[in-house]
Amino acid sequence: MKAEPIPVKLVTEVGHLLTLDPDTALLRLPANSGHGHQDGEQCIACAARTDVRALLFDLWEGARQGLRPAFKSVVVDATAVADQGRVVAALTGKLPAQALRDHTVARLFYLAG
Amino acid sequence: MSPENQTTPYIPDWNEVRSALAQAARERILILDGAMGTMIQRLKLGEENFRGERFKDWKLPLQGNNDLLVLTEPQRIEDIHFDYFMAGADIAETNTFSATSVAQADYACESAVYDINFQGVLVARRAAQRAEAADGRRRFVAGALGPTNKTSSMSTDVNSPGHRAITFDQLVVAYGEAIRGLVDAGADLLLFETITDTLNTKAGIFAAQRLFEERGIDVPIMISGTITDLSGRTLSGQTPTAFWYSVRHANPVTIGLNCALGANAMRAHLGELSDVADTFICAYPNAGLPNAFGQYDETPEFMAEQIEGFAAAGYVNIVGGCCGSTPEHIRAIAQAVSKHQPRAVPETEKLLRLAGLEPFTLTKDIPFVNVGERTNVTGSARFRKLITAGDYTAALEVARDQVANGAQIIDINMDEGLIDSEQVMIEYLNLLAAEPDVAKVPLMIDSSKWEVIEAGLKCVQGKALVNSISMKEGEEQFLKYARLVRAYGAAVVVMAFDEQGQADTLERKVEICKRAYKLLTEDVGFPPEDIVFDPNVFAIATGIEEHNGYGVAFIEATKIITETLPHVHISGGISNLSFSFRGNEPVREAMHAVFLYYAIQNGMDMGIVNAGQLAVYESIEPELRTACEDVILNRDPGATDRLLALAERYRGTAGKEVAAKDLSWREKSVEERIAHALVNGITEYIDADTEEARLKLPRPLHVIEGPLMSGMGIVGDLFGSGKMFLPQVVKSARVMKQAVALLLPYMEAEKNADGNATGRQSAGKVLMATVKGDVHDIGKNIVGVVLSCNNYEIIDLGVMVPAAKILQTARDENVDIIGLSGLITPSLDEMAHVASEMEREGFDIPLLIGGATTSRVHTAVKIHPRYSAGQAVHVNDASRAVGVVGNLLSKDTKVSFIEDIRAQYAKAAAAHERAESEKQRIPLAKARANAFKPDWSDYTPPEPSFLGTRTFDGFDLAELAEYIDWTPFFQTWELKGRYPAILEDERQGEAARSLFEDAQKMLSQIIAEKWFRPRAVIGFWPANAVGDDIRLYKDGARTEELATLFTLRQQLTRRDGKPNMALSDFVAPAGIGKPDYMGGFVVTAGIEEVEIAERFEKRNDDYSSILVKALADRFAEAMAEYMHLRVRKDFWGYAADENLSNDELLTEIYRGIRPAPGYPAQPDHTEKTTLFRLLEAEKNAGVTLTESYAMWPGSSVSGIYFSHPDAYYFGVAKVERDQVLDYAQRKNMSVQDVERWLGPILNYIPGPSIVAAE
Repeated sequence: MKAEPIPVKLVTEVGHLLTLDPDTALLRLPANSGHGHQDGEQCIACAARTDVRALLFDLWEGARQGLRPAFKSVVVDATAVADQGRVVAALTGKLPAQALRDHTVARLFYLAG
Repeated sequence: MSPENQTTPYIPDWNEVRSALAQAARERILILDGAMGTMIQRLKLGEENFRGERFKDWKLPLQGNNDLLVLTEPQRIEDIHFDYFMAGADIAETNTFSATSVAQADYACESAVYDINFQGVLVARRAAQRAEAADGRRRFVAGALGPTNKTSSMSTDVNSPGHRAITFDQLVVAYGEAIRGLVDAGADLLLFETITDTLNTKAGIFAAQRLFEERGIDVPIMISGTITDLSGRTLSGQTPTAFWYSVRHANPVTIGLNCALGANAMRAHLGELSDVADTFICAYPNAGLPNAFGQYDETPEFMAEQIEGFAAAGYVNIVGGCCGSTPEHIRAIAQAVSKHQPRAVPETEKLLRLAGLEPFTLTKDIPFVNVGERTNVTGSARFRKLITAGDYTAALEVARDQVANGAQIIDINMDEGLIDSEQVMIEYLNLLAAEPDVAKVPLMIDSSKWEVIEAGLKCVQGKALVNSISMKEGEEQFLKYARLVRAYGAAVVVMAFDEQGQADTLERKVEICKRAYKLLTEDVGFPPEDIVFDPNVFAIATGIEEHNGYGVAFIEATKIITETLPHVHISGGISNLSFSFRGNEPVREAMHAVFLYYAIQNGMDMGIVNAGQLAVYESIEPELRTACEDVILNRDPGATDRLLALAERYRGTAGKEVAAKDLSWREKSVEERIAHALVNGITEYIDADTEEARLKLPRPLHVIEGPLMSGMGIVGDLFGSGKMFLPQVVKSARVMKQAVALLLPYMEAEKNADGNATGRQSAGKVLMATVKGDVHDIGKNIVGVVLSCNNYEIIDLGVMVPAAKILQTARDENVDIIGLSGLITPSLDEMAHVASEMEREGFDIPLLIGGATTSRVHTAVKIHPRYSAGQAVHVNDASRAVGVVGNLLSKDTKVSFIEDIRAQYAKAAAAHERAESEKQRIPLAKARANAFKPDWSDYTPPEPSFLGTRTFDGFDLAELAEYIDWTPFFQTWELKGRYPAILEDERQGEAARSLFEDAQKMLSQIIAEKWFRPRAVIGFWPANAVGDDIRLYKDGARTEELATLFTLRQQLTRRDGKPNMALSDFVAPAGIGKPDYMGGFVVTAGIEEVEIAERFEKRNDDYSSILVKALADRFAEAMAEYMHLRVRKDFWGYAADENLSNDELLTEIYRGIRPAPGYPAQPDHTEKTTLFRLLEAEKNAGVTLTESYAMWPGSSVSGIYFSHPDAYYFGVAKVERDQVLDYAQRKNMSVQDVERWLGPILNYIPGPSIVAAE
């Protein structure tokens, strides 16, 4: 079951519009703020709600389990995220993997253009 | 003493804790405390609070290192614990979540790890004692162990999935330190929590159990995982059930979940665990998730309502809160759940439960587990190639395909001699862990080496199956391995193997498994459902009668084992069964299917099988199915023959299928095709390919010098590097010879047409001969073939070649090297003679010495000094021959090579001389005084059933074949190891199997077409010992002498009280009134072999030629064994009730011996003359003696029979001159003659100079 890698387009500036077709899923990254942790680090539980890889994996799992429509590409809206470099790093395999799903996402998705 | 002042730890009785906690948890839902971090956050502590006195000068900022507060702000932490206790908590978690050296490294606080854990418990204990004093209710302290911030089951780098930031061993050390602190301080429980990586936790469990074992304690363990993904997996990818199976070996008091995305998101996973876990369930979710304002969004009431839902569903025994929860939450929760009954712990069936990322349970619905064997280097040639080439990407594809094709478990085996198995096992498993569609199934970690198994176990987070351990190294080692397997949380395959060897009979299989079961379940506490017995599947239908029962023995053992040893499983490597049909896939598949059909019915539930190649029982052609059943169930003695006959019909179809599969190589260039044919020994297409190459290249010679030689170059390289074995090389040579034979006429024609055409340029001319008086030539032929493969031209003069002919031919043909071969000891002298003659006639070319009795020392001492003009070199095997000849003929290396040889020989000769002079021999008279003297008084020598000779003819070749000892057969081909183990040898196995298959094929042809006509003659005569001689009489009156057999006595210095033996000691001495007897025999496989071998040679088929000779030798040996058996049982009849298996026969444990003249017990070859005369061997068996007393035809065996119960094979070793003089006199031979024939065993240097000195 080798799937075609799925392109991910990253939106970093507010107001930059992308056309969405039925095969494209939209992922809005929440602002990684207001977190209860003193050291500013994510805990594993928070990561599941903020880390782009965890969210992409959930998208893919959701589609696989029939919980949401299948998609062929993803637009990630990271405009709310303070540290966008971290999102880029996560999508290009430069952020340390925290979970097996991060390996899966690295193989299933790639940052397009 | 007030609790506040407590400084020395309170050490609980952990067994009491366990039972008290269990008791309480059965009565009501217990309460665990809430978040510590949240409460600390509320205190709004500053950097100075974290530093305290101890860390006031710390270089790194410490704020946020919450665990330090047990040292620097102990009272505040104690108060938080106390608040939780008073809110209703029964159990408090210590504030030690990050207190491992791994996590503390971020703050450089590794040195504080032990203290944090120790003080963390004391702080919580004080709070507990305060609470108990306040309300009289018992409180427990759980030592918290976090996941560390590193992960051992996967890589942090998605681009390098095989990398690991931390290893199992490092984690064992880190957890060990933390646990020691917690236990030393008297923690009631250990709580592994927020588990994101099961392998990390397994290391923690391992560390805990080591400590428990060391101290003889058993601290109850709680285990709590975390699931954050929509897919319901842990961060390391496991499902809740897989997670439970993977940690169940810790025997935890609770399993459960914490942290994560709030109570609601946890519910389904908790339900799953509640169903499968036969222990208490503990759940403590986060108070929802932090909202945009940093507040957790679940209020105490909301959270309590959710958790009450868990309780109402009967999912939980202990509940509490994680991040975001407060004493208010805990109070609300405690109240909410108090209305509900705790979950009743279910009884679970004792089933084998394994796990990868997903669980696997061997239920009754699964009649048979196919363990995928394609990722086993010993089972799959393709996988082996990929692994040895380091192509992990393709090797992972193999695993993926297996799982995709339905393998429920996959077997990983890296036992390959050319690689570092341990390292490759680690690398492969680490890479495999990152492939969710492979890692989902459990793994079978398979190796014959414990270190490899252990290394593998340290890489898998799931519950694996170890294959295998056994009692072959004794009970102690077995128990050690079993305990470790258990500590790593794996199930185990136990081979029916003990100190005595592998179990082959029903009784042994059952007995060993019973013993192992008792040890495992009673001494180790191994769960019986985690034990898989492998009662050994052995090859059947091998033509050896005692193998016929192996199939039935397995099936019956399976039945008894599964019926008498509750819950165990039975597995086996099925492909062993059909080894004798290798290459005949349809028959093999049918055999496997039939075998499984019966084995499964009798309880076998697991097997290493290529699932894609299993026939369906019902669809097997009825005739074949019946034949297979007859063989497997051993229904009658003719079963093997019938299946063999039937198998021939299927061979064709298999061949076609295989060829069709492999035909891809046919599409390559003609050069590549020729190379492929040479390397793989395929003659099928070589004529067409050679013809094509001839038409393509300008001249026929170019075909030889181009593609053929480069193909043989590859063969040579592979052979040289130990990747090809002799039988395969000889097959390659067969292809080469065929191709050259096809080209020769064209080369001749070209020569005639064009006078300038030059012939083929060989690397050198080598003359080879078996010396005068000797007939053995297998070794010589093999060397010849190997050399010819390397482009040497071989002139083979055959056997019994006189020195004069060797030298004449060498001169006429202008050869570059002479090679001499011989097997019997007189040939050693003949070789020395040839060397002297070469010197005399002015030769200076190298002389190679080879053959079974030759040695480097003999060459150095006896041959080398006689040929100073050239160089004699001892070559002990064919694989060395190419190198030696190459060096000797190369201008560059010749000089230094010869210098080397000379230095070696000088050293060997000196060492020999030293050794000899140190070996003290005793005078003959003294040796005789210390003769072996059995007690004859109450012993009556048995009387044979007839006297005189009797001849035998018309042997049943099939019956004789059963007595063949195959081990020496493989030695002939330089494959070293015992049969049948050699067939599965990891290095030589493939070559050995292929050779064995060819041998079996030829053997059946020999039998069917009656190639050999074996004959035998035996005789018995009245005999008594007279001194060291054995006197034979014409009849029972013992008045007229018939002949005398002379024997030699050991002159070794005996310090150990052992006698100085001579063969005559085994015969009753004359004059004590004990009539004794002697027997003798000559057997031969017949002269026919010679002609058949020649026929093969003419067809350029050296392989078959050598094969038929080797088989003829085996037949002769088998006949000797067979006749000896009949002598013991019938003709002499002293062991009429002997009943030994074939293997036992080969170990010669029976009564009586049959030594041959010329061998260690009587090294004098000339004694054969007497034996042959007595037996009229030429007339009765067609066997004659050469001038060196070799037997002709070569495939013959002779010897004398002794019946005394104490008779055994010994070596006379070296003899002194006094015995030689005595022996010469007794035998009426000249001293010089005796010295000549006994040359190799003289303990002195004979010759005129010595005589003159006397």
